[in-house]
Amino acid sequence: MAERPEDLNLPNAVITRIIKEALPDGVNVSKEARRAISQAASVFVLYATSCANNFAMKAKRKTLNAGDVMSAMEEMEFERFLQPLREALEAYKKGQKGKKEASEQKRKDKEKNSTDENDKSRDEEDEHMDDEQEGENEGEEEDVEN
Amino acid sequence: MAATAPAAPAESEVDRSRAEDDPRSAEPEEDGGNGQAGPTAGAQQQHRLAKLPLSRIKALMKADPDVSLASQESVFIIAKATELFVEMIAKDALVYAQQGKRKTLQRKDLDNAIEAIDEFAFLEGTLD
Repeated sequence: MAERPEDLNLPNAVITRIIKEALPDGVNVSKEARRAISQAASVFVLYATSCANNFAMKAKRKTLNAGDVMSAMEEMEFERFLQPLREALEAYKKGQKGKKEASEQKRKDKEKNSTDENDKSRDEEDEHMDDEQEGENEGEEEDVEN
Repeated sequence: MAATAPAAPAESEVDRSRAEDDPRSAEPEEDGGNGQAGPTAGAQQQHRLAKLPLSRIKALMKADPDVSLASQESVFIIAKATELFVEMIAKDALVYAQQGKRKTLQRKDLDNAIEAIDEFAFLEGTLD
């Protein structure tokens, strides 16, 4: 399952949409140009990751964090991204917090309703999924030092 | 081997990261794969804030052998930055198309932009 970085492309439809939304109406993009932009985007991810990881390693951390990515943007001379990224990060954090609270609330509700058969089976499914997810998560996160 | 928790105590972000690495909120991991039916399943909960799928971004990041772990926030930020990058390069390439009095962006416009613009120097020699 080892994919070469070059094989991991970002979805064409999304790339196309981002391009279209950035350009004025009436402008077209050739297939080759789109493909090149998509490739460039993948290279960007790899480069940004490598850069960010250097900051994490310098700080003796194993987990790459958002701050590392911000530092990487600066290093890569993409300071213009910093402000919008900070704003996006704030919104993202809020969203995550809301989601966590929502799923905790759902959990509590489920526990209350555990006598109802439907919910019960869903409950089990849920737990099972969480286990799966947890297993998967750990599998992924523990990809560890290659 | 106790390489379990990504909890590096010294990290100020760790509480946040840990919360986000909570399996229940680990939506980005699932690219709609496991057929999870429950309402809390992450597959459909693509963060509207990022257009690019975080799972794919993460897979790219993991391709780097030096990267062990990445917080969900970092994956999100890279996704967002990539989006900004695509916007930027498209716009910069457009300038060259316009110079050529064209309304269609072509590969050569990209090449020109990459050559001319410092921030895109890292792309030189990387595209097919």
